[in-house]
Amino acid sequence: MSHHLFLLSPSDTPIYSLTHYSTKLPQSTSSSLSSNLPTWSTSAFAGTLTALSGASSATQSHHVQGGSVRMGGGQDRHVIQMIANASLDVIEDVMRKESAMYLKSVDKFNEWTVSAFITPGNMKFILLHETKNDDGIRSFFHDVWELYVKTMLNPFHTAHSPIRSIVFDTRVRASAKKYL
Amino acid sequence: MNSHAFAALAHIQILVLPVGPIPRAAFEKYAAEIRTFDSIRLGDIPAGMKDERARFMPNPLSSGNLYLSYPSHPAPPRHMSLSLFRPSHFTLGIIGVAACSSSYSLASALKQFENTVLDISPEGSTFPLAKVCFAFEDEESAGSTGLRDTLPGIVSIPSVMGNKKLYIGTLLADLCSHILAELGRVYHVLESPIGNEYLNSAIFPILPSPSEMPLSLSSGNIGYFSHSSQPELDSSSLATPGIQIKRSSTAGPGISHTASFIQRQSTLGPPAVRKRPSAIGAVSSHGRLYKVLGDFFLLAGRTEDALLWYAEAIVLFKTGQDPVWHASVLEGMATVFVLDTWSAGQGLQSSVSNNGVKEPWADIYEQLSQAVALYHKAPVPSELSQDHSLLALTYCTAVMRQTSLLFCTWSTKGWGALAFASMLQPGSTSYTQKTTSDSSWTNLERLSIMSGVSRSQIANTVSQAHGPWLLHLGPHERLTILQSMASIYSSLGYKRKEAFILREVISCIMDLIVCGREENDVLWKSDVGSASIGNRSENGDEVNIVGKGAVGVRQNEILAGNQSILKLLVRACKVLGVDLEAVGVAKATDGTSSEIGGGDSNDCPVEDLEGSADVARESFGWSELQVGVIREAIAVAEALPAPDPLAVARISLSALRTMHSVLASSDQYHLYQTAGRALAAMRRRGDAPAVEYWAGHPIMSIALLPLALHRLPIENLFSILTAKSSATNSLLGGITDPFLYNPRKSSGPQSKNLIVQGEPIELTITLRNPYVFDLEIQSISLSTTGVEFESSPVSALVIPPNTLYSITIIGTAKTRGTLVFRGCIVQAPWGAPREFLLPVPTDADQNLFARRQSAVKCEIGRTKYWGLDSRPWEKDERRLSTLLPSLKIPPQFLQCVVVPEQPLLRIRWTSLTHGAVMLYNGEESTIRLTLENISALPIDFLRLSFEDSTIGPAQEALSEGELSVFETYETEFDLLHRKALSWRNEKEITNILPNQKVVLSVTCVGKVGCAHGTVHISYSQVNREHEEPVPASEVFYTRQLSYPVTVTVYHMLECHDLRLMPMVDVNYDDINHRASNSVHLLPEVDDPAEWCLFAIDVRNTYGLPFEVTFEREQAGTESAAVSSTVPPGSMSRIILPVKKFRLSDDQISQSIPTLSDRQFVVGKSKLSIEEEQAQRELFWYREELLKIVSARWKETNGDRHGYLSLRQQRLTLPMLKVLRTDVVPVDLTLIMDTPDNSLQELDYSGGKYIASPNEMFYLRVEVANSSLSPLAMALDLMFDPAEQVLSEGVLSNMAIGKLKPDETKAVEVPLCFLCTGRFEIGAEVRTTGTLKDSRVGASRICVSVREDG
Repeated sequence: MSHHLFLLSPSDTPIYSLTHYSTKLPQSTSSSLSSNLPTWSTSAFAGTLTALSGASSATQSHHVQGGSVRMGGGQDRHVIQMIANASLDVIEDVMRKESAMYLKSVDKFNEWTVSAFITPGNMKFILLHETKNDDGIRSFFHDVWELYVKTMLNPFHTAHSPIRSIVFDTRVRASAKKYL
Repeated sequence: MNSHAFAALAHIQILVLPVGPIPRAAFEKYAAEIRTFDSIRLGDIPAGMKDERARFMPNPLSSGNLYLSYPSHPAPPRHMSLSLFRPSHFTLGIIGVAACSSSYSLASALKQFENTVLDISPEGSTFPLAKVCFAFEDEESAGSTGLRDTLPGIVSIPSVMGNKKLYIGTLLADLCSHILAELGRVYHVLESPIGNEYLNSAIFPILPSPSEMPLSLSSGNIGYFSHSSQPELDSSSLATPGIQIKRSSTAGPGISHTASFIQRQSTLGPPAVRKRPSAIGAVSSHGRLYKVLGDFFLLAGRTEDALLWYAEAIVLFKTGQDPVWHASVLEGMATVFVLDTWSAGQGLQSSVSNNGVKEPWADIYEQLSQAVALYHKAPVPSELSQDHSLLALTYCTAVMRQTSLLFCTWSTKGWGALAFASMLQPGSTSYTQKTTSDSSWTNLERLSIMSGVSRSQIANTVSQAHGPWLLHLGPHERLTILQSMASIYSSLGYKRKEAFILREVISCIMDLIVCGREENDVLWKSDVGSASIGNRSENGDEVNIVGKGAVGVRQNEILAGNQSILKLLVRACKVLGVDLEAVGVAKATDGTSSEIGGGDSNDCPVEDLEGSADVARESFGWSELQVGVIREAIAVAEALPAPDPLAVARISLSALRTMHSVLASSDQYHLYQTAGRALAAMRRRGDAPAVEYWAGHPIMSIALLPLALHRLPIENLFSILTAKSSATNSLLGGITDPFLYNPRKSSGPQSKNLIVQGEPIELTITLRNPYVFDLEIQSISLSTTGVEFESSPVSALVIPPNTLYSITIIGTAKTRGTLVFRGCIVQAPWGAPREFLLPVPTDADQNLFARRQSAVKCEIGRTKYWGLDSRPWEKDERRLSTLLPSLKIPPQFLQCVVVPEQPLLRIRWTSLTHGAVMLYNGEESTIRLTLENISALPIDFLRLSFEDSTIGPAQEALSEGELSVFETYETEFDLLHRKALSWRNEKEITNILPNQKVVLSVTCVGKVGCAHGTVHISYSQVNREHEEPVPASEVFYTRQLSYPVTVTVYHMLECHDLRLMPMVDVNYDDINHRASNSVHLLPEVDDPAEWCLFAIDVRNTYGLPFEVTFEREQAGTESAAVSSTVPPGSMSRIILPVKKFRLSDDQISQSIPTLSDRQFVVGKSKLSIEEEQAQRELFWYREELLKIVSARWKETNGDRHGYLSLRQQRLTLPMLKVLRTDVVPVDLTLIMDTPDNSLQELDYSGGKYIASPNEMFYLRVEVANSSLSPLAMALDLMFDPAEQVLSEGVLSNMAIGKLKPDETKAVEVPLCFLCTGRFEIGAEVRTTGTLKDSRVGASRICVSVREDG
C-alpha cells in the first residue's frame, strides 16, 4: 500500500513529493468490474488510456508497448500526479467555503482517496491514500506542516523554490513511517 | 449527452433513416420535423387491439405521455444481450424518410427501406418492433408520383398537404401504437414457462430466434411471431393470419392481464400474477419477468403499473441472488418516481419546492446509490468478456444517471420543472448551457446554494464511473461516457479534472485512429495492383508504394476532425499551464520582411521587451506533468490520420519557447528534432513557411563598430576656418571647464555616430541561445529606416548551446542623412521572418524597467492569485498592467548620421624607421611624411596638430593650480616655446588633388621626459561647389590621420650652480696663475665695476664628450662666446663676463605674466608687497640674463648639435645685486698732487691702486644721478683698516645735496695711508629723507700701499 504526498505551491508547482510504501496490506475492495481486463496494448495511446483509467494497477499482467509515450518515472507516477493535480479543483472549491486546514477525504478518483491540508500561506499538502486512516493522516499533516514552517524560516528559501533539504526529507519520512 | 438522459429508461427510441436518393438537406429538414415530437400523449395512441398486444395499450382518457427520443444510430449488435434486460436501450421503431419523385417510385423506396432495415438490425434481434417509411413528395413532382397507389409499410405525404406536422404526429402515434402492441407480444412469449427459463438463463439473457426455440416447450401450437426483422406489421392492414394464430396460442399463461384489468384492480393484480407463474412450476423466480413487465409499462408511459411491478420484483430480488437485475429495478423505480413527480407538478413548480428536512431528490439519489453499489459488487459468473462489457456499461450508465439527477437539479437552480424537463429531454432545453456558461466561481457557487447540491457532490458522483472497467467498454461507449464526464466537469468548473478526462478522450480517439489505420493497411496491402491509395507515409505524403508506375495520390483530406482533436489538446494543456499556441502562425503567406516591418509591429516589440523583463517571474504548474502532456501532444499530432506538420511544429516549438527552463536537455533535443522533421515535411509538401520565429527574443544587442580612426569623420564648425588659429589656447587651455564635475556635460546629447556615405560599416549583433542544442537561424538581416542602407543578410547561422554569440554585418549607407537601426529581422529555418526591435534604453525606460523588475521581485513571494488564476497569461492581464504604466514614449533606436563622402589620405612613406626618433636633449630633427590622397576627392583643408607625452602632465599640473607663479610661467613657457613636435612651414601645402603625393616636414625637438608623440593630420574637402548647397549646414567634417612617433631623448649635459660674481673681487693674480680659457675675455673688461662674471658648471653625464659653447649677445658690447669641451663624466666651469645692466622700474614692477588666457587665476601667494616686488625683480632680471646668455652644445666627434637649456637655473638675491647696476653710480678714484700742482690719478693695475704710505692722496668720489628723478643724497665712506688711514673731515653722512637727473657731483677727501698693506675703501650713497634701506649706490676700491708705490 502506498501513500503519495505532494507539497504544492500556490502556483500548482510541486516543491516536494514523497512516495511512502507502508507495510500495511490494503484491504481488497476490488470490484468484479475491474477484473478480467482485456490486454489492451494495440497502440501507444491505449497505454495512456489504460494508465489513466487506473487499469494498469488493477491488472498486473498488463504491459505497455510503444516506448514513445513512456511517461517520466513510470506511468503510474504520472497518473498519480495527474490525480493529485485534478483533485486541486475540489480542494480549491472547498477551501473557498471552509476555513478548515485539514480537508479529510476531499476527493476520490479511481482507487485513490485524496486528503489535503492547506496552510495559511496557501500551500497545499496533498496526500493520496487508499485506506481510511483519519487520525494518522491528520497527525502526519501536522508534522509535515511543522517541518515545512521550519524550512520556511530559512530566509534564503522562497515560497516557490523546491525543498531540497535532506533533514526535511528524513523527518517527513520518519513521520510517514510513524503515522501512515 | 442524449444517451445519458436521466429518464432514458422511459424513452422509446425511434431511428430516422434516409431512404433512397434523398438530398441531405431535404432529409435533415424532414427528420427535424419528425424530431420535434418528443412526447405523445397517451390519449392520442390509437388502441384498437384486443388480444395480448393490448396489454400495454393506454387506457382511454389516461393522462400520461409516451416519451420519444431519436438517436442517430441503432445500438451496436454487441449489446443485443441487453435486449431483455434494458429494452429502452434499443431502437424500438424505425422511420424511413424517402423523397419520392417521378423517377423514384414508392415501390422502389419501400424495397430499399426494407433492405436497409435488414442491414442495420442484427441477426436474431428482437428489435425493432415497428417500422414505417414516410415518402415525402417533392414540390416539383407533385401529383405525378403515383402516390395514389398505397403500398403497405409506406406512407406518402404529398407536398400539397397543409398541416404536415399534425399528420406526422398522427403517424407517429400510430407507430407507437404498433410498438406497444409488439411489446405486448414479446412479453407474451416471456410469460410462457419456456420464455421464463430463457429469461433466467444468463445474467443478460437473450431471447433465441424462433428456429432455436425448443419445440417441446413451445408446444407446437405456439404460432410464434415471425422474425423480428420482418414483422408482419404494416400501417394499412393490421389483421394478418399470423397474429390470429398467436392470439389463440398465448391464451394460456397471461390471459387475465389485460390492461384494463390491471388498471381497475391494481391491488389485486400482482398476487394473482405471482401465484400463477409459480404454479406453472418453472424453477426460476419470476423477479426478472416482473422487472421486464415494469420496464415495458414504463416505456408505455403507465408509471403506476410500472411501479407496481417493480415493487413486486424488488420483493423477489431481496434475497440478493440477482443483484444486477435488482439494481436495474431500482433504476427503473427512480425513473418512475421522477416521471410521477413531473406529471404531478408540471403546472405548479413552486409547490414541489423543498419544505421538508430532506431534499426531495434524496430518496431517488439513495435508490440510485444502491443500484450503483449493486452493480459494482455484482459477480460476473461467466468469463465472457461480453458480460463484463455490458455490466460495465450498465454500471457506468447508472452512475451517469445518478450524476444526471444531481447535475440537472444543480444546473437548473433546484428541484423544479426545469430540472425535470432537462432530465426528461436534456437536448430540448438550452437552459443548462445558459446557466453554466458563466463559469466564474461565484456563479457556480450561487447555483450550488440555490439548488442545494454542492459541486463536489456531483464530482464525487460522476467520478464513480471512472475506473479500470472503462476498458471493458466498447470504444464508442467509452468515448460517450468519457465525453459526458468531461462536459460535466467542465460545467462544474473543474478544469483540471476535465483536462484529465480529456486526455483520456484524446487517447481513446487516437487509439481508434491508430487501430483503424492498421486495419486499413492490411486492407490495402491485400489488393495490390488495383488503383489503391496507400496511406503509408508518416509524414503525410500518401504515396502508393505497391502499385507499379502509379502516381502518388493525395486523399481528399477532411481536416476538421484533426482540428477538433488539436483543440482538445490545446484545451487540456492550457489547464496544466502549457500554452501550445505560444508560437503564432504567420499571417502573411509570402512572409516578406517589408510587411512585417510595418503596421502592427509597433506594439509587439514592446511586448517582447516586457517579456524579456519578466524572465524572473515564477513558473506555473507541475513541470513533470507539463513535460508529459507535451510529449503526448506531439505524439498525438504526429499520429493524426492526415498528419499535420504545422501543428506538430507549433506544439513542439511552443513547448520549447515557454518551457525550456524546466525541460530536460534530452527533451529539448527531442522537441527540436521533432519540429525540424515537421518543418522539413512542410517544405517537401511545398507549403509556405507558416511558423513565426519562436525562440524568444534572440537579439541581445546591436552595436555599431567604431570606424577605424583614420576613417572616422569629425564634425567641425565652419567658423574655425575663418577664426585665427590660436594654438596657445588649445595647448594651454587644458581643462577649460571651471567645474570639477559638470552634470550638464554628461547629460548632453549623446555623441552622434558618424558614418560616411558610400563606405562600409560594421555592426555587431549579439545573439542569445538559451537552449541546450545548436540553434539554427536561417537568416538575420538588419531592419533600418531613414537613409537607404545596403547590407547583405547573414544566413545559415548556428548558435552554440547556452551561449551568447556575436555576428558582424557589413553594410553601406547610400545617401546622406540619418540612418536608424531598428533591430533585426530573424528567420528560423522554414519559419516566417519576424522583426525584433531593439531600442536604445533611455533613462526613463531604464527607470521603468527597474521598477517593473522590482515589482515582479516584490510579488514573487506572495500569491494574490492562485491555482488556475496564477497561470502566466491570466496573471499578467490582471497584475502588472495595472501596477505600472506601460511604455508610452516611442522607443529610441540606434541612430547614425551619414555624412557626405570624404576624401581619404594615407601616409605613404616616412623618414623614420619603425616610427622612432632618438635625440639628445635639445637636439632638433626633422620628420618627413609623404601623404597620398587615395580618394577621388580633392583635399583643400589640411591642418596639423601635435601631441606628446610631456603635454599631458604639464597641463595637469597647470590645471591643478598648485604651482607658484614662477613655476607656472616656466611650465607654460615650456609648453609654448619648446614644443616637442611642430610644423614650421604651415603654409606650404593647401591642396592635395586626387592621387597626389605631398611631403610634410615636422620638426622634432629633444625634450627630456618626452617618450612619444603623435602627429595628427586633419584634412577635408571644404569647398564643394559641384554639390547642392546645404542651407543649414554649419558644420563640415574632417578626417584625421595620426602618425605616432616614439621618441627617445638622451639627457647628457647638466648645468649647475649658476653664479654671478662682481668683477671687482676677481683676483687677477690668481687668474693669471690659472690658465683659464676665459682669461682672454677679460681684457675687454674695461671697468670692473661695470661687469660681472657669469659662471656655471656643466656636467656631462653621457658617454661621449661634448663641446659646450656659451654665447653672450648684449647690447653695447661685442658678442662673445666661450667654449669648452666637457669630457664624459666630468664637469667644466664656464665663465663669461656679462656687463651689468639695470632694468627700468616700469619693467620690473610688472607682474609675472601668464602665457595662457586662463581666467580664474587667484593669487595664492601670501607674500608681502616687498617680497613680491623682489620676486618680480628676480624674474625680470633672470629673463633678461637668459636673453643675453645662450648655450649650445655640439658633439665633439660628430656633427650633432643643439641647444642647452638654462632655464632650470635660479637667480638669487645676491646674484641680482651683482648683476644690477646701481641707481647712483659711485666712482672712486685716488688722486695725488703732482709736483706741478696738477692732480694725477694713481697707478691702477690688476684691479687696484698702488700707493705709497705716508703720502697725501685725494679720494675723489664722483656721484651721478642716473635715475629719472632728482635725488638728495648723502655719502658714507669706509676705510679698512680704518685706524691706519688718516683722513680729513667726517667720513659719514657727507651731504652731497640734491642732484638732478644726469647731474654729477664730485667730492674729494684727502687721506693718507699710515702703513703699507692692502686697504679697501668703500663708498656708499644713501638718499636722504627715506628711513630704511635707502642705499642707492656703492662702490669699492682696493689700494695696495707699498713702499715702492
